[in-house]
Amino acid sequence: MSEASAPPAPVTLDSVTLTIDGAAVTVPKGTNVLEAARKLGVDISAFCYHPGLSIAACCRQCLVSIEKSPKLQPSCQQIAGEGMVVRTTDAQSTLARKQMLEFTLVNHPIDCPICDKAGECTLQKLYVDHDNADSRIDTPKVHKPKVVDLGPHIVLDAERCILCTRCIRVCDEVAGSHQLEMINRGDHEELTTAPGERLDNPYSLNTVDVCPVGALTAKDFRFTMRAWELESTPSICQGCATGCNVEIHHRNERAWRLVPRLNPDVNGHWMCDEGRFTYHDLREGRLAGPVVGGMPASWDRALRAAADQLAAARTAGGGGGGTNGVAVVLSAQASNEENFALSKLAAAWKAQVFWTARPPRPERADDRLRDADVNPNSAGVKAIIGAHHPAATANDAAGFEAALAGGTVKAVVMLGWDLPISDAALRHLRELPLISLSSHERGPVKHAAIALPIAAWAESAGSVTNRAGRLQRTHAAFAPPGQAVAGWEAVARLAQASGATLTWGHGREVWKEMTAAIAPWKDAPWGREVRSLQLRFAGSRG
Amino acid sequence: MGASTDGGHGHGGHGDAEPGDAAAGPTVISVSKVSPRVRTIAVVRPTEHDVTYLEATRKGLGVTLRHFMKNFFGRRRPAEALARGEVVTAKSFIPWNEIETIQYPEERTHYPERFRGLHRLMQRDDGTVRCVACMCCPTVCPANCITIIPAEIDEHGVEKAPALFEIDELRCVVCGLCVEACPCDAIRMDSGMHAKPVEERGHAIMTREMLLGVSGEAGKDPKSTATQGGEGPAWRE
Repeated sequence: MSEASAPPAPVTLDSVTLTIDGAAVTVPKGTNVLEAARKLGVDISAFCYHPGLSIAACCRQCLVSIEKSPKLQPSCQQIAGEGMVVRTTDAQSTLARKQMLEFTLVNHPIDCPICDKAGECTLQKLYVDHDNADSRIDTPKVHKPKVVDLGPHIVLDAERCILCTRCIRVCDEVAGSHQLEMINRGDHEELTTAPGERLDNPYSLNTVDVCPVGALTAKDFRFTMRAWELESTPSICQGCATGCNVEIHHRNERAWRLVPRLNPDVNGHWMCDEGRFTYHDLREGRLAGPVVGGMPASWDRALRAAADQLAAARTAGGGGGGTNGVAVVLSAQASNEENFALSKLAAAWKAQVFWTARPPRPERADDRLRDADVNPNSAGVKAIIGAHHPAATANDAAGFEAALAGGTVKAVVMLGWDLPISDAALRHLRELPLISLSSHERGPVKHAAIALPIAAWAESAGSVTNRAGRLQRTHAAFAPPGQAVAGWEAVARLAQASGATLTWGHGREVWKEMTAAIAPWKDAPWGREVRSLQLRFAGSRG
Repeated sequence: MGASTDGGHGHGGHGDAEPGDAAAGPTVISVSKVSPRVRTIAVVRPTEHDVTYLEATRKGLGVTLRHFMKNFFGRRRPAEALARGEVVTAKSFIPWNEIETIQYPEERTHYPERFRGLHRLMQRDDGTVRCVACMCCPTVCPANCITIIPAEIDEHGVEKAPALFEIDELRCVVCGLCVEACPCDAIRMDSGMHAKPVEERGHAIMTREMLLGVSGEAGKDPKSTATQGGEGPAWRE
């Protein structure tokens, strides 16, 4: 229609110019009118349109007038044409959207007080923007199933559903499994799974994110917090090597949920369910204060004890290459800054350097977002070791195991708590003085001679490197527990106690030194300091 | 006022200064050339007579004696007048007139209908709490005195209820915003009661059960007639 009515444009043009509400905008060919309007700052209301999904045009909430078109057109489905003249504020389309919204609200239960979406609900927002009038409906509302257990993570309230089919498209297009479907017709239409089916794909919680109302709610987040109470800090998911961009939603010094953050180059709009639950680990089994010999101690005492333990090992002979008896174990679970700081200290000490990672889980890998490598920073730790210790070879967990068996290790300084080595090697490790820098009190950390508490990924500014070598910043959402400090700061304290000099006053200084030292990260900008955004000012989500 | 350094009556004397004195203003020593409103004036210090405050002390003792006589010999206002909410208008030095104090707490003055007293939580018909833990009241509370931890329940088609609902009455500034914010008529401040004095701060924290019990103490209907969740008589009827 528009192609026929629009003046013939040269086929070679890859952009079109159209007029929306009197303002001209140039967009790439194939862009729809709704996106073109958003580029101009005109936000046309919509429920079923999502920039990451296919077009359904079933909610009819984005109707606009287009010149020479006899009827109103859904702007999400209407591809922008050259010379097209669109009006979004004329009487006809304004009234159509207002009435469409009233129609959507006919059977909506308006149970906002108990609805988890309240505060970030598109329907709430559009009601205030477009309608804001009392209901004119006298007939009883259609009742549908409530609190339907759709799958392991999701609860459905069919009454709240406005039948936009976004969740169905998420399952089809993001997860690749058709698990949701609409049944019945008219005002009895409702969302359901096929008989015997469950909504259990690994990307199922994206349906909760895209749901414009509170029809789909996450069991994990349900009834814990209202959206407007939360604050949001951008970060990177630590679940695997993909490094999905996420927002940490937090309040009262703890995280309440993780939601994906748009990054077209990494994860688009999405993330996997497993990654969303990684925030639980931030509160479990944390090491909140220094421990010496199984007893709580002050930082001063712990550092003095560590220096004493290390002094003997540093004079002992080592595993070749001029190294001494101290073994420094880096971690693919820790950030670049933590690894860089400890690696630099190891170079100053002339210690043997190893690195550990959680073993890969090939069964979770797919061609979408989930990676077999469940470490967020494998690429980063390899790059750091390559820059600092070019001669080192075979220094992963297997190499560490061999060194333990060989007896060349007299003391161990370890980052993190993941140590996938054999039981025999672990027994051997128990006999050595272990100085552990860890956020959690788990595994070998429980038996460490000295354990120094460090901040977890959500509590300090840092960076991780994903599987594509992309350096991505994380930001501190809240303070670390107890006496824990940022990992690089714990390393700097340990360095001072042992006579080496590492002087950093801020994570930015570590970053500056690190990006100067490691070639692929040359001149990477630290960027602006990020402050938490209160979600009550963030408008609707979904 | 001229050069009022002649002792006796300094600034703000005893009212017997001439009316023209105030208008004349203080003695100006010099005026700024830059801004004529900036002037240097002669400051009049109080004399020894003023510093003894004899005159003021005599007046103060008189006031005290008057109140003593009135409270000791005066009649108390009848309880009916208090209940009617009559305000005290008679102002007199005559001791046998009505006195303005009442015997609190046996006697109370009239409380206005919208008096904001101790909070109470309203009940549904079956006695369960009407609150659905929507978090509107802790959000709007300027004193951060309301703590709610929501829980999932399976009753009356309502899915959510407060597992914990506490109000710290010491922190509360009695603004009534929680009552206005409540979409369910679950919290009210119409009990007419004052927060009770406590010996420890923790005792001023009212729990869910205490707040539900306030209705009984205050002799109020614990059940709201407001409709909720689409149940009950429609608002059109």
